Amino acid sequence: MSVTARSSPWLLAGPGTVLFTAFVILPLALTLVISFQHFEPNAATGSGFTFTNFVSILTDEYFLGIFWRTLKLSLLTTLACALIGVPEAYILSRMRDPWRSVFLLVIIGPLLVSVVVRAFGWSILLGSSGLVVQLGEMLGLGFGRLLYTETAIVIALVHVMLPFMVIPVWTALQRLDPSVEAASLTLGASALTTLRRVVLPQVSLGMLSGSLLVFGLSTSAFAIPGLLGGRRLKMVATLVYDQFLQELNWPLGAALAITLLVFNLAIMLAFNRFVEARARKVLG
Amino acid sequence: MSFLTLASLTKAYGSFVAVDGISLAIERGEFVSFLGPSGCGKTTTLQMIAGLTPPTAGTVVLGGRDITQDAPNKRGLGVVFQSYALFPHMTVAENVSFGLEMRKIARAERDRQVADTLSLVRLSEMADRYPRQLSGGQRQRVAVARALVIKPPVLLLDEPLSNLDAKLREEMQFELRRIQQSVGTTTIMVTHDQAEALSISDRVVVMEKGRITQVDAPYRLYEQPATPFISDFVGKMTRLHGIRRAGGVEVAGRLLPAGGDAGEGGAVDLLLRPEKIEFAAAGQGMVDGRVVSRFFFGSYWLFAIETAAGLATVSLPNQDEDVPREGENVALRWAPASARVVSPEGAEP
Repeated sequence: MSVTARSSPWLLAGPGTVLFTAFVILPLALTLVISFQHFEPNAATGSGFTFTNFVSILTDEYFLGIFWRTLKLSLLTTLACALIGVPEAYILSRMRDPWRSVFLLVIIGPLLVSVVVRAFGWSILLGSSGLVVQLGEMLGLGFGRLLYTETAIVIALVHVMLPFMVIPVWTALQRLDPSVEAASLTLGASALTTLRRVVLPQVSLGMLSGSLLVFGLSTSAFAIPGLLGGRRLKMVATLVYDQFLQELNWPLGAALAITLLVFNLAIMLAFNRFVEARARKVLG
Repeated sequence: MSFLTLASLTKAYGSFVAVDGISLAIERGEFVSFLGPSGCGKTTTLQMIAGLTPPTAGTVVLGGRDITQDAPNKRGLGVVFQSYALFPHMTVAENVSFGLEMRKIARAERDRQVADTLSLVRLSEMADRYPRQLSGGQRQRVAVARALVIKPPVLLLDEPLSNLDAKLREEMQFELRRIQQSVGTTTIMVTHDQAEALSISDRVVVMEKGRITQVDAPYRLYEQPATPFISDFVGKMTRLHGIRRAGGVEVAGRLLPAGGDAGEGGAVDLLLRPEKIEFAAAGQGMVDGRVVSRFFFGSYWLFAIETAAGLATVSLPNQDEDVPREGENVALRWAPASARVVSPEGAEP
């Protein structure tokens, strides 16, 4: 009896731990090891121990430019998702039932379609003979070239990432006491002031988790920059792919992947600490 | 012209009529309670006064001005919600200050008024706490302070005490009445608790199924309930079915004395409040019975007595422990004037 009681936590946690170790910890550790190896043109993996890969990433203008673009586009995507997703979630939370379920499905639905298919769809829409460019010309708005630009990448990323912003914010809104908004109105606040002073501060935690999800997924996005950025406009994930599978420079690819991970972790932890500390103090 | 007038106020949701054309005049400084079971339309009425629910028909006139179409943020009424609806991300002082900020009152003046109001509700030391750090009773007082600080012409309270435990509820009743009397704000409270309504109101409005069935001072409401529903809902009542006779009501073959001299022969109900019945020496009572059960409530005893005429409820103030026990035979007596004779339950009054 006591043996079972003592061992049951281990038994319960066992499968998860094995899975996590085999598919997350081990590959990460291997990547870390490879990232410190010399590149050997004739072998799949390198050998020895060196910092050259990291030094070249941090000093080469080409790599720095791609990191900067990844950061910029991910921030833009996060901002756009917040600007579109938060009002969307608010409207959704105000809808009555048949419509709310329908629109929630509309928002989540795209997640059921492969991201490659959606990226390809956008490349058709944004192409020079695509619907968007044609429509722009018809209306006299010369968009110029859209496909293979940073704009195209952001548009598609926003489309893919939006559910990850809407759902946490919507969940936070569900927890809101509806009479709190009524209270604000009866105290003389306009609907807009109520939204700004009463509703938004209370969903800030939802916005935080949404932003972290969107930012994290955007920095590591692969299919969208791959299909909509073309050969020239690279983001870190596509660069890593190139190093591994085209240049066959595994050590540099691994170093790039590790750098992205560290850089992502640093930004997300700092952001998390900043906003969460404020929100937790108030909301408990 | 009364201070606040509701005229034929109606709210229908499709074919369901929540509030069915109620009219009521409330004077300045009055404390009025809307009393009724859940679903009787009392909260909907309050929300129509607050402007949070648009009425289907009828008008709300405040101080001679029709405010029926005004948005809630233009009415300037103070509302205390059932959940208190405090802003969880603001401190007590910020919560109370919010309404003043919306009125663009200067910082210094705002701080002074917030401090004054917090001292009125005895929460001055809690100014920098957040709502989640307060007890239920304290939250309730913050909600009252937040509603009062804007000096509203009318204070609306939606079941303000229902989330508090029994002891605290009693304290807050006194507290609410004290605050209301010291500021003199016209107050409308919605409640389903008859004790609450009777204890603190100047007038009680009883609602049933979307209609007002009685508007009276608490004492009159208790002594002269207009409908069988009210007599059962407000306080406890012994109800005996019988036939009207000269000088009383004939129940199960015996004449029970009662006031009034309405016509003879009709089916009627005899109503007796538990505190109007007393025990008499054997043979001296108006009806004999046996104690079925006995309850002790601290300040009074309550007995269920089985008599030949039916089950009667009797209460006795707690003077000593020398009271009838379960199974004991007793005789019951009352002043004929304190027994009311009404049309039988179910019939139109």
